[in-house]
Amino acid sequence: MPPAIVATGLSFCYPPPSPALPAQQVLDGLDLQVGEGEACAILGASGSGKSTLCHLLAGLAPRYTGGHSAGRLVVAGCEVQQAPPPVGAIGVLFQDAATQLFNTTVENEVAWGLEALALPPVTIGERVMQALQRFGLLHLRYRPPWALSGGEQKRLALAALWAMRPQVLILDEPLGGLDPRGCIEVLAALRALKAQGTTLLAATLRPQTARLADHAALLAEGRLTSATTPEALLAEEARLYHAGIYFPPARWPGLRPQRPLSADPPAVALRQLRFRYPDGHAVLHGLDLTIPQGQFVALIGANGAGKSTLARHLNGLLRPTAGEVRILGQKIAGQAVGTIARQVGFLFQRPEQQLFGATVREELAYGPRRLQLPDADARVARALRHFELEAVAALPPAILSYGTQRSVTLAALAALETPLLVLDEPTVGLDGAGWQQLLLWLAERRAAGVTLICITHELALAAVADRVIALHEGRLLADGDPAEVLPRLDPEVVA
Amino acid sequence: MSLTLDLHTPGRSWLHRLDPRVKLVGLGLGMTAAFLLPHPAHLALYTALLYALLRLAAVPPARIGWLWRQLRLLLLLILLLQPFFTPAGTAWLTVGPLRLTSGGLLNALQLALRVLSLALLTGCVLFTTKQRALVHGLVWLGIPYSWGLLLSLTLRFVPAIGKLFVAVREAQAARGWVARGNIVQRTRDYLPVLVAVIIGTLQMSDQLTLALAARGLAENAPRTVWRPLRMRLSDWLALAVLCGGFLSLTLWRAGCF
Repeated sequence: MPPAIVATGLSFCYPPPSPALPAQQVLDGLDLQVGEGEACAILGASGSGKSTLCHLLAGLAPRYTGGHSAGRLVVAGCEVQQAPPPVGAIGVLFQDAATQLFNTTVENEVAWGLEALALPPVTIGERVMQALQRFGLLHLRYRPPWALSGGEQKRLALAALWAMRPQVLILDEPLGGLDPRGCIEVLAALRALKAQGTTLLAATLRPQTARLADHAALLAEGRLTSATTPEALLAEEARLYHAGIYFPPARWPGLRPQRPLSADPPAVALRQLRFRYPDGHAVLHGLDLTIPQGQFVALIGANGAGKSTLARHLNGLLRPTAGEVRILGQKIAGQAVGTIARQVGFLFQRPEQQLFGATVREELAYGPRRLQLPDADARVARALRHFELEAVAALPPAILSYGTQRSVTLAALAALETPLLVLDEPTVGLDGAGWQQLLLWLAERRAAGVTLICITHELALAAVADRVIALHEGRLLADGDPAEVLPRLDPEVVA
Repeated sequence: MSLTLDLHTPGRSWLHRLDPRVKLVGLGLGMTAAFLLPHPAHLALYTALLYALLRLAAVPPARIGWLWRQLRLLLLLILLLQPFFTPAGTAWLTVGPLRLTSGGLLNALQLALRVLSLALLTGCVLFTTKQRALVHGLVWLGIPYSWGLLLSLTLRFVPAIGKLFVAVREAQAARGWVARGNIVQRTRDYLPVLVAVIIGTLQMSDQLTLALAARGLAENAPRTVWRPLRMRLSDWLALAVLCGGFLSLTLWRAGCF
């Protein structure tokens, strides 16, 4: 039987994003072979070309993306560079599954591709039901895809692909952006696909995904290392670290307090904080909480526990239905978000989507100028230097790579030099190099006495905090030293 | 969530189950009828009939109230201004060049009721028809599939763009934006948000191109329809009633009876 994927000397370059820049060579003579029914994992850091490789294999690049490819590529028996592959032969799961769902109900999402295959309606009906059942979505069939959780969206995208009976499934970071529960759901679905003999290729930076595969290879500088078992590759921690994929906790900077905590006044004081949305849905049910200045607090809990809702009260984006929020002793009721921003720096989820500056320098200068901070230019210069962004300072953030955009979001926050930092899932989507940059900055901020409040699903990060606060359905479930709290928690509650 | 364009109100009433093609035909005939009815009294009756239709189809009063709130400013403006634009008949009040006349007032009332009835008619279709059925109905009426797809994609992605707008505004506020200055200053503050939203929208549309191509959208490729529209007896009956009603109205206007 011929292999399902053969790439020989595959190269790809994108046109330059602006005339001042060179063309971007992403792949440079890559060789790859995946046998029928095998599962292969490709490990690579952000910007190593994982997504580009996925698009090439699916016949989408350069056809719909621009750029130039060279070398030989055969996927599922088609020379995908010469002609588009037949409809449904190659399935591709995008990194952000939400962008891949474009119908108004779950069942129509699955049916759409089958209609494109021009199958008779009876067959479509059978396959839709089969796919929904198999991926545990039958009870959601009439819901709009955009109202599903991250894990459900990924499963729906997989169901829609699987229903078309692809010979090869390409998975671009299949666990990207998922909470622990979503990861468990999607991993189970992928294991089932593999057991059934579907050829899988997963591009990822997560060891969890790599362990699913029969063999794994490392993507760096546009080429693949020779394939080995995932276990063997993951055991080479130093190599993964140098490739920017993984930042092992053994190498983390010290995040323990270097200054005494001060409770006079406390950084955050919540009294009987309650919140319900205008539609009546209550999220927080009377929280009392005091966080001294200089403490590093990890806020954990399952999706829907109220973590982000609580965080949004700390800079006034949400206002309590009842109760009181004090920041550094001051009541914040009546203060505008833009005024509270002097005290509280806030990192949103998916911050790279919120860049609005014309250049990186402008992006960084926005906050200090708005707040009329005395030494705005010096702050911007310091942040540019700290995050090694001087070379791209004059470029628009929109054309930068994902990893660099994430650096810009941190730098924009750093330039404000606020005494409090609230970070909502700051590690989602970060590779090893991104983790390293984030943790080094946090260590430095801690040394400066900054109060850190960090929402996270990463228990390794929670473990190095001074204090863990676990929320469950809008109430405090546990509060204390990580060494005491974390072992006691039911994994279901924090997942 | 207010950021949604899906006006569909789930239900299983007779109007919900009516074939979307019949509803679209009804919409066309009903709109024409609104222009054929000559007198405010007729239009008032027609509007009441449409309201009853919506209630019979179990569309909740809150939904109809929403429609009313969208329109009330426009209706008020029509009632206040229209009489002075189309003076006719007895003059009741004259202030400078402005003349309030009986004919003008009737005209204004007629226009307002016409707008209201058109809105209720549209509500009858949009509140009770799923987007997919609407697209299929339009395709059946001769609109190309790609246009129908475009309509449903718009309905799907405009709210996503709205969310992006909110996210960028929040990011700005979190970095020190406070409403200040005059209208020019405030408008200028919005420019970076628009840029970010436009870039985000372009990226979304790039992704969508890939998603559609990856799942097999090709021009002129044959497609099947999972649940083809089927006319049932009740649909034919409804169509007959619609056409009969419309024909009678036209004959009546033509002076045949």
